[in-house]
Amino acid sequence: MSESRHATGDELLALRDGEGSGWARDHVAGCAACAAELQRLEQVRSQLKALPSFAPPRDVWPVVLRAARADRRRRRVSLWSGAVATAAVVALAFAVMRHAPAPEPVDVALQKAMAESAAMEQMFESLHPDRRALSGQAAGVVADLEDQLAQVDAALNDTVAWRSNPVRVAGLWKQRAGLLSALVDVHETRASVAGL
Amino acid sequence: MADTLPIAEAKSLVTRARAGDYSALEQVFRAYERPVYTLARRLSKSPDDAEDVLQETFLEVCRSLKQWRGEGSLWGWIRTIAASKALMRYRREKLRAWEPLGDDVAHRAEDVPLQMDLEAALARLPERSRAVVWLHDVEGYTHEEIAELMGMTTSFSKSQLARAHERLRRWLGAGVER
Repeated sequence: MSESRHATGDELLALRDGEGSGWARDHVAGCAACAAELQRLEQVRSQLKALPSFAPPRDVWPVVLRAARADRRRRRVSLWSGAVATAAVVALAFAVMRHAPAPEPVDVALQKAMAESAAMEQMFESLHPDRRALSGQAAGVVADLEDQLAQVDAALNDTVAWRSNPVRVAGLWKQRAGLLSALVDVHETRASVAGL
Repeated sequence: MADTLPIAEAKSLVTRARAGDYSALEQVFRAYERPVYTLARRLSKSPDDAEDVLQETFLEVCRSLKQWRGEGSLWGWIRTIAASKALMRYRREKLRAWEPLGDDVAHRAEDVPLQMDLEAALARLPERSRAVVWLHDVEGYTHEEIAELMGMTTSFSKSQLARAHERLRRWLGAGVER
């Protein structure tokens, strides 16, 4: 037996976990008591892993579902209210920039694109997308469209861009309307009401 | 615990859940509610606390689904959220009610050799010790990961593990005198 002491609990646990020192390994090889303790530690770990699992006493799924639906609704509302707020900012920006009383073509294009986006958003919401079951493929398409929509919304929240490049902003609103239209198509043609 | 959902199925369910398909979200919930609750029971003070952890974990899963990109196992991701929630509650409670760290029960009658079953002995461990034992020995977390989750040091995790096993040895009455 090397060195006149037994291995400590720390040293044996490290050995059990494959990290022990050379001294501890050599010691255990020649010390029956420490070898037995190491084996006991391994057994305790196996017994811990074999303890039965617990079943939740109540089903919390209805609570989770309600919260998930509310969260999804909040996100949609905040997208739309963000768009309204941004529209107010752009109106103010144009009022400042514009010297002539007649609307510039970019104003018209912007208003048209925003109105189109709002109409598409209403149509999409009227389909109750959160109550529809999707196939895996359709869900992938929806997730991709929603990712793109989130990127467009993030770009539209950049109020500096509204002032500096209104043509691009009008393009973003058109893109948003197009993405919502695609979401409407997917939900109308590929989803079924899940009854949730 | 092994992941109950194959990675391809987990990815498909998460994609559908992200798109608003609640039946897919429920499948994820059903696959992991029991392991999450079991982990929460091991890390929490009471069954009621564990139930709260279960609920908070899945609310967080719903909010953060986009963050799971399918690079690691879904169970590993959910498990870390659950452990974090359970330990957060524990830390918060510690701010309200003082509880000594480490070898805090030395003066109670707990050093007397006993003959308990493992479940009872585990339940008798101080909460932090029990959490370290469970996370390390059962869930396979490293001491570094446990330290990060608990906001403590790696040496704290190692010493808690050693002390806990020393207690278990006495309480289980199965140790060899050395």
